[in-house]
Amino acid sequence: MKYNRIDIKDGIKLHTIQTDKFKTNLIAIMLTTKLDKQNVTRNALIPAVLRRGTASLKTQEEINKKLEDMYGASFDCGLDKTGDNQVLKFYIESVNDGFLPQDEENMLKISLENIFELVFNPYLENGCFKKEYVEQEKENLKQIIEGKIDNKARYALDRCIEEMYKNEPFGLYKYGYVEDLNNINEKNLYEYYINLIDQCKIDIFVSGILDNNIEEIIKNNQNINKLGQRNPEYIMPEIKPKIAQKENVIQESMEVSQGKLVIGLDLDIDNEDLRYDAMIYNTLLGGSANSKLFQNVREKASLAYTASSSYYRFKNNVFINCGIEIENYNKALDIIKQQIEEMKKGEFTEEEVENAKQGIIAAIKSIDDEQDTEITYFFGQELSKNKLELDKYMERVSKINKQNVIDIANKVSINTVYFLKN
Amino acid sequence: MQIIENSKVKEKLYIEKLENGLTIMVIPKKGIQKKYIIWGTNYGSNDSTFIVPGESEITEVPKGVAHFLEHKLFEQENGRNSLDVLTSLGVNANAYTTNNHTAYLYECTDNFYEALDEFMDYVQHPYFTDENVEKEKGIIGQEIMMYDDYPDWKVYLNALECMYHKNPVKLDITGTIETISKIDKDILYKCYNTFYNPSNMAMVISGDFEPEKLLKEIKNRLIDNKSNGEIKRIYEEEPKEIVKNKAEQNMEVSKPLYAIGIKDVPPEEKEKVKKHISIEILLNMIIGASSELYKELYDIGNSYSVPSIEYEFDKTYAHILITGQSNNPEELFSMLKKRVNNISRSGVDEKDFERIRKMIYGEYVKEYNDVTSISRMFLSDYFKGINSFDYLEEINTINVEYLNQVLKDVFKEENMIISVVRN
Repeated sequence: MKYNRIDIKDGIKLHTIQTDKFKTNLIAIMLTTKLDKQNVTRNALIPAVLRRGTASLKTQEEINKKLEDMYGASFDCGLDKTGDNQVLKFYIESVNDGFLPQDEENMLKISLENIFELVFNPYLENGCFKKEYVEQEKENLKQIIEGKIDNKARYALDRCIEEMYKNEPFGLYKYGYVEDLNNINEKNLYEYYINLIDQCKIDIFVSGILDNNIEEIIKNNQNINKLGQRNPEYIMPEIKPKIAQKENVIQESMEVSQGKLVIGLDLDIDNEDLRYDAMIYNTLLGGSANSKLFQNVREKASLAYTASSSYYRFKNNVFINCGIEIENYNKALDIIKQQIEEMKKGEFTEEEVENAKQGIIAAIKSIDDEQDTEITYFFGQELSKNKLELDKYMERVSKINKQNVIDIANKVSINTVYFLKN
Repeated sequence: MQIIENSKVKEKLYIEKLENGLTIMVIPKKGIQKKYIIWGTNYGSNDSTFIVPGESEITEVPKGVAHFLEHKLFEQENGRNSLDVLTSLGVNANAYTTNNHTAYLYECTDNFYEALDEFMDYVQHPYFTDENVEKEKGIIGQEIMMYDDYPDWKVYLNALECMYHKNPVKLDITGTIETISKIDKDILYKCYNTFYNPSNMAMVISGDFEPEKLLKEIKNRLIDNKSNGEIKRIYEEEPKEIVKNKAEQNMEVSKPLYAIGIKDVPPEEKEKVKKHISIEILLNMIIGASSELYKELYDIGNSYSVPSIEYEFDKTYAHILITGQSNNPEELFSMLKKRVNNISRSGVDEKDFERIRKMIYGEYVKEYNDVTSISRMFLSDYFKGINSFDYLEEINTINVEYLNQVLKDVFKEENMIISVVRN
């Protein structure tokens, strides 16, 4: 694997990942802009509208036929909340020429052309987006937003985050808000899109068996060529001190047969480098089958099937998730709090720390075994201040000891306890 | 080992059936860090009535034993749990149960052979006590309740209930709180001894391996166990007809979820791959991303995402499932029936067929991108009596005439059902 990064223009970067491990080429375009209430809904709507038609393929039916004809190339759009940024993601994955009948054309080149058309050259009518497309996608997005209640465990987590980050960008729902859809029309959305394309941070990733002249192919593409240089507005993650506060307890009701308990923890760390220690802390608390939560809430007390935690490194939070019998709320909460306390007291072994490190190092080693994981990793690096090569990353993790983890544990406090019951 | 090479995806399968009946398959992947191993037994939630080899009486056990066994197998006599031991080696271990098989697996970058010691030890040494069996009932009880909150799982099970009178495929893999309450250690041992015999099992490994060396390492870790002969599985005869054509359940969802089922008869042995591919092609032509029907549904605001389509089959059942969310599932169902009728009358379009065939071919190739999907695919196909490479070859034998025939044989209105979950 060979990774290379170049500036195409100010604010527009090309990342190439030369690898022969896969049957496919994967191309990704990430548009990064700062997250705020005013734009979150418009940002969510844009990929959906772009997906509907390009200047040359005017309908989604034509687009889909084209993709099918490219041996099932898949085009996906997504939205991410990365720290205080909103990222609009576009992917195209297609089979590499080596695994296609020999008379086929250059699939990588065709894929690049198509994804650039989809993102940068939309179908227009009367100088703006097609009205019908925008109206349909508004309705579609409305249903996606309303659909957040369908997955109860995910909903509970989203609600907990929303409560913890009230009136802050990270508390926003990534798909936006129904009430903000009303004011959007094909004209103002197109104006907003033009603005976005002119000002956002653009990262293009290409992974697979690449031609030597890949940079030239991309630079010379009309859609890329017409983009101007920019000084993009996006937020580099910053470490903010966590203000100690009384823990916030919220209970809400829905039609559920199992209660969903989410606990949001603050990690008050003052140094970006401590994030690696925090990863180990999370593994020991609830990140694996050996963790305190899995062992005590599930295996010993038999209270839950899921009992885990995950670490949000851009925000320095750990979120604990548990599905429990509703009447066992207090019992489960007591056991969980006890685990957080035990971590503070250092009631775990050196060996457990070593095991946790091994697990993380194994995950780092296999980052380049999956194309999308690899792209996600390099993009994460792109958005971080301290860029770290994979081997430096492993080296850093291997240095962590028990005391480092205890230090992290003592910077942890409960911010919010959220419970979804019936 | 026997070597089967596929020139399309440029991969090799090394396969060997050992004397004790265990089948071992290795798909080497040079230069990949990740290693994946999966060991399965041809025993799933459907197998609750059977004759133990050497016995004459029929044994019937409560529903949910296969899945219960999967949970309990990790427990060891020395008081340790093998999932913990594997995790502490830095490997990622797991297990799952389906209708027809149960599988144990781990993936790792380092410590493969250290983990293999533990892995092969725990799968071959069950340790059940009254106490550890009782404790598990609480955990599985919560797993069952978690599924109760998944509307997509409910809509799926209700669809199967519409189609099947007797076949156990319609039941929850986990069993119910009531059936698992009857499980005890004797039942677990009996099922273990019957179904976890090497002759009923297969192992698949993918990663950067030297196949012969790996085979030797595996053989060294096998306990002395003989093939125990054929297990007779008893299934009540399933009528061809559906049970009812509609099911509806209320749950708190933002918009209705639907599952449309088309009941089929299990495919003929030598035709199953070809039939499976043909049905995938037909479903894409009828309601896939580029179909006229999908466009129509989108334009009238009925559906905003392409339905998932699947052909599920084994030796005793077969059905198509089309699932998704729709503002008016009943309208979608009737439009679908109309569309099937139209295509049946006109015959499938040659150009659409060629394009969709290319797409499906590309999707098959993509399966070979990572060791996880390769291993899982080879295992589950193996238990259906299929070599996964066959899909890459058989796709070229399909023509329009064959598709028209399958369309006529399978997509019959009297075999169609709809299940809906709505507010």
